Amino acid sequence: MVSILTGFIGLAVAAVILVLVRRDKLHVNHALGWVLVAAGFALMGFAPGVFDSLAGILGIHYPPTLALTIAIAILTVKILAMDIERSRNEVRTQRLIQKMAILESELSALHRRSEPSGESPPEKPTSIDT
Amino acid sequence: MTMQHAHDQAALPFNGVVIIPALNESNNVGAVVREILDHTSLPVVVIDDASTDDTAARARLAGAEVIRLPLQLGAWGATQTGLRYAQARGYDIAITMDADGQHEASHLAELMQPVITGKADVAIGACTARGSRMRRIAWSMMKRSSGLSIEDITSGFRVYNASAISELARRRATLLEYQDIGVLLLLLSKGARIVDVEVAMPPRIGSGSRVFHSWRTVAYYMMYTLLLGLSKRNPRQAY
Repeated sequence: MVSILTGFIGLAVAAVILVLVRRDKLHVNHALGWVLVAAGFALMGFAPGVFDSLAGILGIHYPPTLALTIAIAILTVKILAMDIERSRNEVRTQRLIQKMAILESELSALHRRSEPSGESPPEKPTSIDT
Repeated sequence: MTMQHAHDQAALPFNGVVIIPALNESNNVGAVVREILDHTSLPVVVIDDASTDDTAARARLAGAEVIRLPLQLGAWGATQTGLRYAQARGYDIAITMDADGQHEASHLAELMQPVITGKADVAIGACTARGSRMRRIAWSMMKRSSGLSIEDITSGFRVYNASAISELARRRATLLEYQDIGVLLLLLSKGARIVDVEVAMPPRIGSGSRVFHSWRTVAYYMMYTLLLGLSKRNPRQAY
């Protein structure tokens, strides 16, 4: 009974992912990983024998341990990958903020210079790498 | 700008800028900027780290150019903004100073000397006498974990030459939170010559250190710094 439930969870996850991609709520490259997770669930539910024999080959007496270990390992890798991506995004945001602030100060300096007489020619714009 | 300063500017053999990161320093920033402008003809740029007071207005009134960050990036994020500005504007020397009056403009010439003469790429105004007991413990742990032999690792009173500016303006330096271990190890990994220049530092005028003010931030800072120091030890091999 439990294994059938697991299988249906897998199918439900797969369905939710398809809906999310369809509605543009989830990037396709993230969806790929989640589809694999759903497939894993379905496999565990509908073909528990696969896990049992794999556990037997690896010498694990209690097959669910194998499933849980694999799940924890995958989750750890996934979360680490998310933090790596978050770090990259932080760098991007920070550099954009810096660039924006520099350009804004330049813009207001130009305004100040042009306000009183309007004579002073604008300086060469600052070029900043992102 | 006075005639004397105009003359100084023309005579200067380099193109320098003073960068001051500031967060809620409206009480001090004006005096700090004026003191620098009294001692040198270098332009002063204050990077306002999204202050909630009138730091930006006071700095501008005192004669500084102000870059206002729309979101708070921390002391290093603000300093890097200044360095990116310096690079974009083609300055070949950047001096960083704190906005709390801890760094005296009278030491500027002395601190710039090794960089201007090409003896060093980076000069750090060191004041090892200023440390509280906690700060000294922190310094010794930081030195031990990172293998750095610089006297005053946390000092924000520094002079960078063009190559150091360009290294620190890079994306790689953006992820750092503080200007000490990470910045110094990055510079060393690129072969930068860093020297200490002993300077006296008076106590801060107003607010305390942005790091050493609560146990929680100190604990985070120490863990952060130790991990960074350990992971980037022997910088020549790390990059």
